[in-house]
Amino acid sequence: MHAALSAAAIAPAITGIWAIWNVFSNPDPQVYEFTWVGALDLVIRFRTDSVALLMTAIVSGIGALVFVYATGYFSPGAPGARQFAGSLLAFSTSMLGLVLADSVWTLFIFWELTSVTSFLLVGFNNTKVEVQAAARRALMITGGGGLALLAGLLLLGRSSGTTILTDLAPATGTAGILAGLLILTAVATKSAQVPFHVWLPGAMAAPTPVSAYLHSATMVKAGVLLMAVTSSAFTDVEAWKVVGLILGITTMLWGGIGALRHVDAKLILAWGTVSQLGLLVTLLAMGNGKAMFAAIAMLVAHALFKATLFVVVGEVDVRTGTRDISELGGLYKTMPFATAAAVLAGLSMAGVPPLLGFATKEAAIEAALTMEGIERTITVAAISIGAVLTVAYTARFLWSTFGPGPDTKVSPRRLAMTIPASILALSGVAGFVALGQVSAVVTRAATELNEKSSVYKLLRWPGITTAFLISASVVVLGAALAAMLIRRSNPAQVPATGPRPLGAEIADRSLDGVLVISRRVTSFVQHGSLPVYVATMALTATVATIPFFTDLTLDHLVWWDQPLQMVLAIALALTALASAFVKSRLGAALSLGAIGIGVSGLFVVQGAPDLVLTQLLIETIIVVGFVTGLGHLNREFPRSAGSWRSVRLGVSVAGGLAVMGALASSTASPTGRAPLDELADQAVETGGGNNIVNVVLTDMRALDTLGEVVVLAVVALGIAALASSPLLPEDEPALPPTDRPPTEKEVAA
Amino acid sequence: MIAPHSPIARIGIQAASPLAIMVGFYLLFAGHNQPGGGFAAGLVFGAVVALRTVTGLQAPMGATPLIALGVVIICATAVAPLLFGDLLLDQKVFSGELPVLGKVKSGSALPFDIGVTAVVVGLIIALLDGLGATELAESSQATYGERAAERGKS
Repeated sequence: MHAALSAAAIAPAITGIWAIWNVFSNPDPQVYEFTWVGALDLVIRFRTDSVALLMTAIVSGIGALVFVYATGYFSPGAPGARQFAGSLLAFSTSMLGLVLADSVWTLFIFWELTSVTSFLLVGFNNTKVEVQAAARRALMITGGGGLALLAGLLLLGRSSGTTILTDLAPATGTAGILAGLLILTAVATKSAQVPFHVWLPGAMAAPTPVSAYLHSATMVKAGVLLMAVTSSAFTDVEAWKVVGLILGITTMLWGGIGALRHVDAKLILAWGTVSQLGLLVTLLAMGNGKAMFAAIAMLVAHALFKATLFVVVGEVDVRTGTRDISELGGLYKTMPFATAAAVLAGLSMAGVPPLLGFATKEAAIEAALTMEGIERTITVAAISIGAVLTVAYTARFLWSTFGPGPDTKVSPRRLAMTIPASILALSGVAGFVALGQVSAVVTRAATELNEKSSVYKLLRWPGITTAFLISASVVVLGAALAAMLIRRSNPAQVPATGPRPLGAEIADRSLDGVLVISRRVTSFVQHGSLPVYVATMALTATVATIPFFTDLTLDHLVWWDQPLQMVLAIALALTALASAFVKSRLGAALSLGAIGIGVSGLFVVQGAPDLVLTQLLIETIIVVGFVTGLGHLNREFPRSAGSWRSVRLGVSVAGGLAVMGALASSTASPTGRAPLDELADQAVETGGGNNIVNVVLTDMRALDTLGEVVVLAVVALGIAALASSPLLPEDEPALPPTDRPPTEKEVAA
Repeated sequence: MIAPHSPIARIGIQAASPLAIMVGFYLLFAGHNQPGGGFAAGLVFGAVVALRTVTGLQAPMGATPLIALGVVIICATAVAPLLFGDLLLDQKVFSGELPVLGKVKSGSALPFDIGVTAVVVGLIIALLDGLGATELAESSQATYGERAAERGKS
């Protein structure tokens, strides 16, 4: 047993029991609000309405079971179980925040948190290259979707005039279409819709508890949930419906085909999840009350049966050492409990009575039948074909894994794995037995999202209706397809990893491409030549002063306030010239110091003692620093090529003129009087000091100072780190820093 | 490099250090009402460290703890008012009678300034370290060229 994993199960278990209790007792929604940044209208806001409670029950209930399951999944003493418990709990918390969020910004923050924490979970076995690639791919796709979500929520918030999710007003016009498409993009990335689905099969590299949790009940449902809660804002946007239907139907069919092409049981389930998510998106895109009702019902049923199947596959994997269905067989004899759980969940997935999946699938087909015109034909056909594929891959999976075949050796049962599987599988049966209760819960949640859903119920026995006839023929056709595939299957032809999704290649390539480009950009921009850096900065500053020259006047300029200023200015100009032309480095350093002291003389004349003090001290330090630095260099400046010299001269002169011009024009039209009196009063009153400069620094604008100090500290730490790290590897005769030859010659070339 | 050549500089700096440190403290405490403040005080302390380092005198080493201390003090001062329901970085002024000094007025700006001082001194130590000042002070030759020539001979 792993203490960390068991301890981590406690919090989700308590939350789950609380949520399940509340889902059925249906209390009034409560709102918890916390103002984060009032001026930006940024609030953290949670709301426990029926949808949120239902999702909380799923997230925390299944979460608790998965933690229990993980204690059995990880062998005793397996490394990293503690980190795993931490990451999984962090993910669980992020997901909880996401489902409870009632402000678009809260939603966004938790959305991103689930992306990051799921990256940690998928990349758990981080020493394997393919796991790293899968984790990166998942992060890139879902993270990219997060950006689309941010843009979409900004547009939606602006057009609605509110950031409260439950108050969103219908969006219209171009902004509405754009917001809808952006949010659909986010939905498609998170909920693995074609063409963004490629990360989900890859994410099967994660340990099975992660797949059972993230890829059945939580993470992938985030997109669907987002679509459900924002759908009320897009009732008038035709593009939302059309794009959503295209996405959903394509995904539903492509995912179903994908599930039939694989022999890895976990990949079959992953592709099946892709297909089911497609069905959910299709239902939500339809936009009518019946479809919303069916979507919520499907969401609950899918979470239950898919989590069961993942959990069972994990157990098979641990106890037999393989997940390849062409190698497995006869497990019904050796793993009766797992087989029973898998069959119950599988039949629920295939939509066979008497299980929850049957009632929800009926609702889905009914919903498609309520559509009109061409949409009715397309959705009914698509959902039926999707259901046939679902029955086929379910039957193929169940038969090949558990049915008669080569008897696979199994290790002893682990109770911690069997119990969650049994509970999850029986919940599908319990759901059908207590269908009235479940139906009421689903109706409440769906009605919150779409008022027209209030009249619908899940039916235990619908009678001989069109929908029932369709679903009966679906089961027959699916079973026939599966039988055909099982008979024809030749294990040697299919590689164990299955066909690699086309898009995965593209995703990986583009990620690598970004790295290559960034390396090139870095080596171009960070060329390592100090003089060129300085010249670049000076030129940029020069260009930045151009706007000032539009109102450049010289009329307001006077020669001096006091004659002493002129004397100092002439001395300064001469020193500056000297520093530019002097050959000795030490001479240049000293004349730079002299310039600084001359400038502080100007400050004295202006009557600014604080500036004088600081300037003098800075100059002292700089001169000491220069002298120390010069110890590493030759006494004289190296000769540089004439062209480079003229470039530097040009940049310097331009920079000087730019600063002069900018100062002259900025003093030409003073806007108002300096608030000196107010500052002086405030300094004494609020700051309790007579030195205005200091009070401004430590009190009035203390936040600025805080930021500056942090910058200073980071710079200092950077220098300390650079100074203590040798640039050359140890085995080469490393020159100590003091003996490094001057680099300016290389630079000038 | 200076140490072997100039005993006058060495002894002068040694003698002036305590005075300079007193000046630094004066600037730190006076800063609220007179010219000075944490930054200026940090520069004075830094100058002492720099001069002592290049003349081969004993000087504080290790920039990182000092920088960390400074940032911690500043952040603590910044956040502390939140605990009392005030705004971030809110200033509190205290005044009281002390023996010898008489009426003394100070505020939470003082720890803030002390933090600034620590970071500035840390920065200067890091810079000196980065420039290899200690090694230079121990080397007998003044410049890179002379050291290279000497190494060629040996």
